[in-house]
Amino acid sequence: MKNRLKILRAEHDWSQAELADRVGVARQTIIALEAGKYAPSLPLAFKLSKIFSKPVEEIFIAEPTD
Amino acid sequence: MYVVHYIHAMDQKINPTTQAYRRYTWEFGASMLGYIVVIILSRMLLHSLTTPPDRWQFAVALLPLIPVIFVFVAIVRLLLATDELQRRVYVNSLAIAGGVTALLAVTYGLIESEQFPPLSAWWTYSVFMISWLIATFFVRRSYR
Repeated sequence: MKNRLKILRAEHDWSQAELADRVGVARQTIIALEAGKYAPSLPLAFKLSKIFSKPVEEIFIAEPTD
Repeated sequence: MYVVHYIHAMDQKINPTTQAYRRYTWEFGASMLGYIVVIILSRMLLHSLTTPPDRWQFAVALLPLIPVIFVFVAIVRLLLATDELQRRVYVNSLAIAGGVTALLAVTYGLIESEQFPPLSAWWTYSVFMISWLIATFFVRRSYR
C-alpha cells in the first residue's frame, strides 16, 4: 500500500518524531509507514486522517495487489 | 497550582508509546535489581541453613522467582501499552523464539544419551531469550 505521509509531513514541516508524538506511536512506526512496509490499522489510519485533515483515501492509496 | 496544571499539561503531551517505554525501562530495571538482591540473599540463606527442612529449602530457592514475575509483568505491560507495529514486532519475534526453542529442545531431546548428557532447564530459558533477541532484530529490520 502506497501513501502520501512523507509529503504531508513535509507540508506541515514536521519531523518524524513530531508526527510520532502527535499520533502517539514510536518513530520507527512512522518510518515503517512512510516506507510502505507497514499498512496501518483502521484506527491508526483515521488518526492520521484527522491529524492531516484529509480523507483516508487521500493519504493511503491501495495498489491492485492489495 | 500553576505548576500542577503545567505538569498535567506536559503529561498529556507525552507520547503514550514513549511513556510505555519509559515505564518499562523503570519497571525492568527495578525488577532486575530486585533479582540480583534476592538471588544473593537466597544463595546466602541456602548456604547458611545446614540441615533445613525440605519445604524451606524450596521456598528459599524459589525466592528469586518473585522479581522474575515482575519482569514478566513489565514485558506484558509494555506489549499492551506500546503501539500496534511495535506490538507486532514483539509478538512475531516471541513466536519465532518459541518455535526455535521448541525445535532445539526436541532435537536435543531426541539425541540425549550417554554422548549427549541431560542439560539443565536453564538452557531452554537461555536459548529462548537469545532467540527472542535475534528474532526481534530481524523482524524490526524487516519493517525499515
